[in-house]
Amino acid sequence: MMRAFSDTLWRRPRLTIALLLAPPLIWLGVVYLGALAALLAQSFFSIDHFTGQVNRDLTLATYAELLRASNLDIILRTVTMAALVTLASAVIAFPIAWYAARHARGRWKALFYLGVMMPLWSSYLVKVYSWKLILAREGILTWGAEKLHLAWALNGWLALPVVGGNSLSVSATGTFVVFVYVWLPYMILPVQAALERVPPSMLEASGDLGAKPFQTLRHVLLPLAMPGVVAGSIFTFSLTLGDYIIPGIIGSSRRFIGQAVYEQQGVAGNTPLAAAFAMVPILIMAAYLWAAKKQGAFNAL
Amino acid sequence: MTKRFLTGAVALLASTALAGTATAQMSEIGEGEGALSIVAWAGYIESGETDADFDWVSAFQDKTGCMVSVKTANTSDEMVALMNEGGFDLVTASGDASLRMIAGNRVQPINIDLIPSWSKVDDRLKDAPWHTVDGVHYGVPYMWGPNVLMYDTEVFPEAPKSWDVVFKQMDLPDGASNAGRVQAYDGPIHIADAANYLMYHDPDLGITDPYELTQPQYDAALDLLRGQRELVSRYWHDAFIQIDDFKNEGMVASGSWPFQVNLLEADGVPVASTIPEEGATGWADTTMLHAEAEHPNCAYMWMEHTLSSNLQSDLSVWFGAVPSVPEACTDGSGMQTAEGCTANGLDDFDKIKFWKTPVANCASQEECVPYYRWVSDYIGVIGGR
Amino acid sequence: MSAVSFDGVSRHFGPVRAVDAVSLDIAEGEFFAMLGPSGSGKTTCLRLIAGFERPSAGVIRLFGAAVQDQPPYRRPVNTVFQDYALFPHLNVRDNVAYGLMIAGQNRADRHRAADEALEMVRLSGYGARKPSALSGGQRQRVALARALVMKPRVLLLDEPLGALDLKLREQMQDELKTLQRQLGITFIFVTHDQGEALSMADRVAVFNEGRILQTGTPETVYFRPDVPFVADFVGSSNILPAPLVARLTGTHAAAALRPEALRIADAGPLRATVTALSFLGTATRVVLEAEGTRLTALLAKGAPRPAPGDTVALAWDAGDLHLMAGA
Repeated sequence: MMRAFSDTLWRRPRLTIALLLAPPLIWLGVVYLGALAALLAQSFFSIDHFTGQVNRDLTLATYAELLRASNLDIILRTVTMAALVTLASAVIAFPIAWYAARHARGRWKALFYLGVMMPLWSSYLVKVYSWKLILAREGILTWGAEKLHLAWALNGWLALPVVGGNSLSVSATGTFVVFVYVWLPYMILPVQAALERVPPSMLEASGDLGAKPFQTLRHVLLPLAMPGVVAGSIFTFSLTLGDYIIPGIIGSSRRFIGQAVYEQQGVAGNTPLAAAFAMVPILIMAAYLWAAKKQGAFNAL
Repeated sequence: MTKRFLTGAVALLASTALAGTATAQMSEIGEGEGALSIVAWAGYIESGETDADFDWVSAFQDKTGCMVSVKTANTSDEMVALMNEGGFDLVTASGDASLRMIAGNRVQPINIDLIPSWSKVDDRLKDAPWHTVDGVHYGVPYMWGPNVLMYDTEVFPEAPKSWDVVFKQMDLPDGASNAGRVQAYDGPIHIADAANYLMYHDPDLGITDPYELTQPQYDAALDLLRGQRELVSRYWHDAFIQIDDFKNEGMVASGSWPFQVNLLEADGVPVASTIPEEGATGWADTTMLHAEAEHPNCAYMWMEHTLSSNLQSDLSVWFGAVPSVPEACTDGSGMQTAEGCTANGLDDFDKIKFWKTPVANCASQEECVPYYRWVSDYIGVIGGR
Repeated sequence: MSAVSFDGVSRHFGPVRAVDAVSLDIAEGEFFAMLGPSGSGKTTCLRLIAGFERPSAGVIRLFGAAVQDQPPYRRPVNTVFQDYALFPHLNVRDNVAYGLMIAGQNRADRHRAADEALEMVRLSGYGARKPSALSGGQRQRVALARALVMKPRVLLLDEPLGALDLKLREQMQDELKTLQRQLGITFIFVTHDQGEALSMADRVAVFNEGRILQTGTPETVYFRPDVPFVADFVGSSNILPAPLVARLTGTHAAAALRPEALRIADAGPLRATVTALSFLGTATRVVLEAEGTRLTALLAKGAPRPAPGDTVALAWDAGDLHLMAGA
């Protein structure tokens, strides 16, 4: 019986593929895309503002509400933060990934993976709360700045509008620092994978043709690492766009999209507005990927 | 194919959450169903797990066989949202949530004849407008208390007399400015605190009820809050984060609940609380029964339990609140004492403007700014708008 | 003046002496081959010239100037890599024009130069393609054009034909030779294929274990190897051990005897047993054993063929027995 089955599979490889792919495709199609479609549908409903119940007549009123200044602030603030976090993650991740891909061997390589992965093992909440303590007015960072006689620099930065605040823990800078810390591994690993795929001879060829190291970085290494950077930035960008916990614990209480979704849905019960807010990151990511493809970020794949 | 799928999804969504129809109230209590699920504020339903001395669940479970499960909510809006989702029997709703749930048919009328201890409820609460509509009761009073002004006793040798320490830029008694050292509640209902302040200091505005604001009154309150934004580094919405901020962020004054004050005092942090001259907003919570409760018999048994057991006395100690049953202060059913009740605000009932949902067609004015505007405008104020 | 000269150059990787005190002179305009098995140090020598490695000791000169402390981008040499190292994100034209772009040449000029270089390697019209759309031989020619467009004074080729199939390899050998004669610049190429080295190079250096064992024209290293390793590696010569040679000639030294110089005769100085035969088309290869030494003979077409197990007499012309210095 089993043998007949195996033989059939061997004779009909497409049947094998169909059997293997069916469960994930059903999951993807029904559960995932279904949920997405439901979300999209919800965003065209509206809410009765007194009873908090959803009115199921199709309307664009909820999207119009998105365009209110305070909601546009939220979107702009979130996108700016996500972009800065992505940029900073890429800049920090690149040398680390470069070291790991090109120079680390054996034990050092293992240590690298451990160092990058270990923060991922501990609970996300524990990390964020630890950072709240580190960044607090009476936390170790302020203390360290005082000991190093750098308190003036810290206070000067905190005195700035927008990025500053009473302490790092209640400033947009604090939110930024924690975002970068939490998502950095998601940038390092794909960039490292991309750099490992670049043959050393490629860089030697560039130098051989007269390029100084910085020119090689600019014209060869970055383009070739770009698929990794884009993959990493998809993580850091979308994770920042959607996160609602970090800005709820660290920062100036100014809302981010994730919090708006959480509050409109979980707190205010305004599922349509939450759905409309949730569509924003999806659309932004779609536009981002399209732009990345246009820019040739995937050409070296 | 895609289009048909979408239509199907919408139809499915529409059918799963049909608005509930109002149910007639119960006429008798039957056998317990063995389970009970409650949406409650953090710290409201204790079974001795946080602190062995505070337990008002175990005895109830032993007696009735109804096993209690609790879903905690952080804000009134979250409570409304959870009840709209369904699957719960009871909710400890504050006044800014209760009327919304009544209007939305999420809760059912209560037959007070089935609750023998109803007679013991504080007369000031029996017919309170946040759970009584057209003479019909939609819940059993649970607990009430003021939103106090918590302050650092090292910075303030004497209790601040006015809420202006959190609303206006000023130098505090220790000589430093209050900017960056005060907090405010991260919920739209905080607009009422601003209105309450203006009601006292700016009588020309003509505010008579901080939850019923005309457009000019509302705009004045928002202006006051915009000024407050300059002073507040981070708003608080989670009691434990506020506790941490008083320990580590150098916070010295904030609107708060007695709950945080008690926990900080227990930790040896030099804080105390007061109700300043303007009075305060406050909450009065009501246990309400979901319109489609799966365990109504257990729910009725619990409502009786809330009034007749050690719950009123011990919870008022635990949460720093005032019992809805006045005799719980003195009858020795728990740890509460007459002094404790006074300290928690028993005699301040008239100074407190209890949370209720702002509606457009309000009683005291022609037309008021409704709650949904409060929600989005407060997000805007925090965002710097 | 030498195009390239090594003076006591060593390159050590930890305890491994990849290049061990090598001295070498390559003349301008020479087609020079570095031949040796893998790990013999020939590729490291090429990388030392290009500047991808720095010597642990010694002096490297390019046209008289010491360059061992200069980075690759300052040296007047260009390299064709074994894996071609074409940039996958650039099309063929931009690959070829890369060095000119770096040098700051404007787009029109460098594209014209690139197209000329592509024409030289007979790839006109391929400029817009991506390297991934080319065959191995085409990629190799693009790599060649990319290096030549820089007008280097020395062109380095690392196993340039290694990845090509036999027919293409022979064709490319001819093309490279023609190209080198046209341009008149120095070509230095690394190979482990002795046939390739002998057919293309003006001079060959035979490497083993980090050292150069012999440098000379193809004829010299083929017919007159200095040491048994060269004899074996370059010509797959039969090596007769010193005691046997002493008995045959009176001189105590190892000797090389090329397979095609061996004849099966009616009588001769050595008797051997045939152990195997293989047919090669133009000749027959016979493996024999004589006094414990394994010998190979190539018999021309038409010569009498023995059968395995036969005992035969072997003869050769005295001039073909080449006595060697090394043991």
